[in-house]
Amino acid sequence: MSRSFDAIVIGGGHNGLVCAAYLARAGKRVLVLERREHVGGAAVSEEVFPGFRFSVFSYVVSLLRPEIIRELDLPRHGLHILPLESTLTPLANGDYLAQWNDHDQNRCELARHSLRDAEAYEEYGRRMHHMARAVKPLLAMAPPDPASLDPRELLGLARLGAHLRGLGSARFHELCRLMTMSSADYLDQWFECEPLKATKSASGIIGTLAGPRSPGTAFVLLHHYMGELDGVFRAWGFAKGGNGSVSEAIAAAARSWGAEIRTNAAVARVRVEGGRATGVVLEDGEEIHARRVVSNADPRRTFLEMVGEKHLPADFVAAIRRYRFRGSSGKVNLALGELPRFTCLPQGGAALRGAISISPSVEYLERAYDEAKYGEFSRRPYLDMVIPSLLDPSMAPPGKHVMSIFVQYAPYRLNGGWTDARREAFGDAVVDTIAEYAPNLKSSILHRQVITPADIERTLGLSEGNIFQGELSLQQMFFLRPAAAGSRYRTPIQDLFLCGAGTHPGGGVMGASGRNAARAILGEAA
Amino acid sequence: MSARAVVIGAGANELVAAQVLARGGWSVLVLDRSAAAADGATDVAGWVAPPIVRELDLERHGLEIQRPDPWVTAPVADGARLELWNDVTRSAESIRRFSPNDAARWPVFCEQMSTLARALETLSMAPPPDPMGEGIGALADLGGLALRMRRMGRQGLENLLRMVPMPVADLLDDWFECDALKGVLGAAGVLHLHQGPRAGGTTLNFLQNHLGCAPGVFRPALSNVVRVLAALQGIEIRCGVEAARIEVREGRVTGVTLAGGEEIAAALVLSGTDPRRTLLDLLEPGWLEPESVRTLRGMRSRGVVAQVTLALDRAAGFSTLAIAPSLDYLERAHDDAKYGRVSQQPYLEARAEDRSVHAHVQFAPYALAGASWDEAQRAQLADLVVQTLDAHAPGLSAAVTARRVLAPPDLERPFGWPEGQMHGAEPALDQWLWMRPTPELARYRTPIPGLYLCGSAMHPGGWVPGACGYHAARQALSDH
Repeated sequence: MSRSFDAIVIGGGHNGLVCAAYLARAGKRVLVLERREHVGGAAVSEEVFPGFRFSVFSYVVSLLRPEIIRELDLPRHGLHILPLESTLTPLANGDYLAQWNDHDQNRCELARHSLRDAEAYEEYGRRMHHMARAVKPLLAMAPPDPASLDPRELLGLARLGAHLRGLGSARFHELCRLMTMSSADYLDQWFECEPLKATKSASGIIGTLAGPRSPGTAFVLLHHYMGELDGVFRAWGFAKGGNGSVSEAIAAAARSWGAEIRTNAAVARVRVEGGRATGVVLEDGEEIHARRVVSNADPRRTFLEMVGEKHLPADFVAAIRRYRFRGSSGKVNLALGELPRFTCLPQGGAALRGAISISPSVEYLERAYDEAKYGEFSRRPYLDMVIPSLLDPSMAPPGKHVMSIFVQYAPYRLNGGWTDARREAFGDAVVDTIAEYAPNLKSSILHRQVITPADIERTLGLSEGNIFQGELSLQQMFFLRPAAAGSRYRTPIQDLFLCGAGTHPGGGVMGASGRNAARAILGEAA
Repeated sequence: MSARAVVIGAGANELVAAQVLARGGWSVLVLDRSAAAADGATDVAGWVAPPIVRELDLERHGLEIQRPDPWVTAPVADGARLELWNDVTRSAESIRRFSPNDAARWPVFCEQMSTLARALETLSMAPPPDPMGEGIGALADLGGLALRMRRMGRQGLENLLRMVPMPVADLLDDWFECDALKGVLGAAGVLHLHQGPRAGGTTLNFLQNHLGCAPGVFRPALSNVVRVLAALQGIEIRCGVEAARIEVREGRVTGVTLAGGEEIAAALVLSGTDPRRTLLDLLEPGWLEPESVRTLRGMRSRGVVAQVTLALDRAAGFSTLAIAPSLDYLERAHDDAKYGRVSQQPYLEARAEDRSVHAHVQFAPYALAGASWDEAQRAQLADLVVQTLDAHAPGLSAAVTARRVLAPPDLERPFGWPEGQMHGAEPALDQWLWMRPTPELARYRTPIPGLYLCGSAMHPGGWVPGACGYHAARQALSDH
């Protein structure tokens, strides 16, 4: 029996679920089709080893837009965020740098390394706060196309121009510089303490095959600064129960408004008739009709696999082929028999409850990038680690721990390709790196899960394993994300929309793409 | 008698500024540090823009532009050579031997890049747009610019916005497969820049090096423009003098004091010296806001080029030779510079003339890690250049009778290039248009009335010799 829906959402990642929830809330009959056995996409919690639960892929929450949490009433649907209070950067000389959310504590710690930086940090913090506020309205905006003559686009451009001019000279120019500089060059203007510069600049390289000295990375720094929990910029946290709880909460919200969610339902293609999307065909041959189709899959999979070139204009196909993914990060999940003892913190301490970053200097990160440029994984990679079981004991058996390690760089196009042996060698490089700072780590590992970009692609369907559905580089942002003709969540196919991170404003478990897409669809339906 | 203006420096920008001021009724004195006017002025690379040529009647005064043909010759494996010519079809024939696909795409690529370069030429021939400009005039300027850009058509404008911030490596990978071709083209993206071809914004540099060139030519032409400008009448040039201080009284500029102590009164001073030195060294401290000082100190002007000249006892056996065999080669060459070393395998661009060879060597960073530019370093660099060229021009090393190395510190003083960087401020995205060299100095004015900046650190940069001076002088004329 074939039933008809107002909208089918392909893919139950967080953006797909957010989009579905907003559509359902507006009274639309919505069906979400998820290929895997559970929803969440990259935001899932799984019991990978008996008794040990992991946020297998994405592992922290911060960018999730507060308006989404509010409008979808996510806390009522089970979302509970435990704040991360600090970032610890262990150093080779046995010392460390800790950055704290608490202003005074942070100032004291910075002053221990550099009085000048402690001073500069005050102004830096203010400046980034202003910048984040300046950019915030742009996140919720369907980016106007400056090359178009459509009056709607021109109006959007005029609004954008007015917003930018309204910032005033100083802030506008600062924003221009942030958009175009490298994160290391930008931070060089402010600070002298290497671990501080390195740890901050590292957020500029996440998910992109670029080094901290590559122009365009300063903007990603700001992108990560947008982390906004309860209105406080730059606050990160864990979801209790792992990042899967974020997806579960959004799914519960969507269901509460009547959205239907089907798992184990892999979409093979989008039905296109007379230039319009009319539904989807599942891999088992089932056809489902709908008035519109919204794809949370990335642009390459959506257009080149599910829609097919023959339905698309040639220059649009060329633009999608050109759109760069270049996954450059991996993940290692460890089940530990005991807590790692860092040489720099022999007594443990509160700093272990936050993020732990292996980023001792900008040069360290830059050298890690050099290897990836030529197709090797970094032997001494940048690592961002958390130990969720310290905050949420339900993640591991009593006395034991789970550790989530984000690793960069692991290039998708590895020389010779990713094999099981290479995956293990990559895992060894990560463990060896940590062991230099926490010697007991190796002997405390009970289980190890290593995830390469190739694994991310295979498991989640993210092309080339890029966690942002495409690099966050200047030429792939705003009205160019993913291509000029598909940047307002609409596509060259009528009634086919995109709602994933491959659209403005991009990835990071923000949900903004899903919300913006729903608004574009509802605006059009109205 | 007309009021006096002093111009510090005697390069293309300063001389054009002086001429524009003189034609505006000022009595102009140019302070030249070198011993004789245009002494040792070598040919200058860049696009001598038509408005300047016209206004100063440079052609009648002997302006000569050299456009080598082929503009690049690159050795490919087995003694074969890739040659790119001023003629698109002829280049395509050369490319066809290595990749028929690339040869087929060459004309389309050339046309598209040419369209983009025309747009950048338009931007170069006006002062930088000022998105935060006040008043109807500024809005009208912005609107006018928007309309001119839209004339490129939808695809052209979209390409411009998309490509300018791109790494040149990505741009070339989108078009071509032949490493040798991508190497010589990619070199234009990193020319004089402290970046490898995988860095964002290198496409902008690539396009800037295409200004004023025929479609398919991606190296700036050489010209005798400085010699021609120095011979023009109407201004006074004093050689062998150096400005030591810019005098300011009651908040405005009153003149320049020379190194010997002589004070020259002037109501207008245009400085071609780089902004950092002009505002932080030549000026009494305290005129700038602390925030402006911070931004100015943050301005990047890292030199990465050395010039090596070889004298030979015979002809070199080639006219041009570019060693940039692939994008990875360029990237690795830059990796060394990133950590403060001279590239072990440098990007070279050699030009032969009679019995000498001039080589542009990149990357040779101004600041070496754990070393300095002493005689041993220079000799090592010369060895490296001879050895690298010898591999492609057999017997060259035996023909060398003398060698001269100009490392970045050697370029700093005679040319006034800060850290040896010919663009004054690095040609990067964040130092472009209204951010060049810093947002508050972008309009050629300084916080001191009567003092203007006219060097290549200003918009549009060193790609368009004379244009910075042209815009600066016109700004000064309209203010006074």
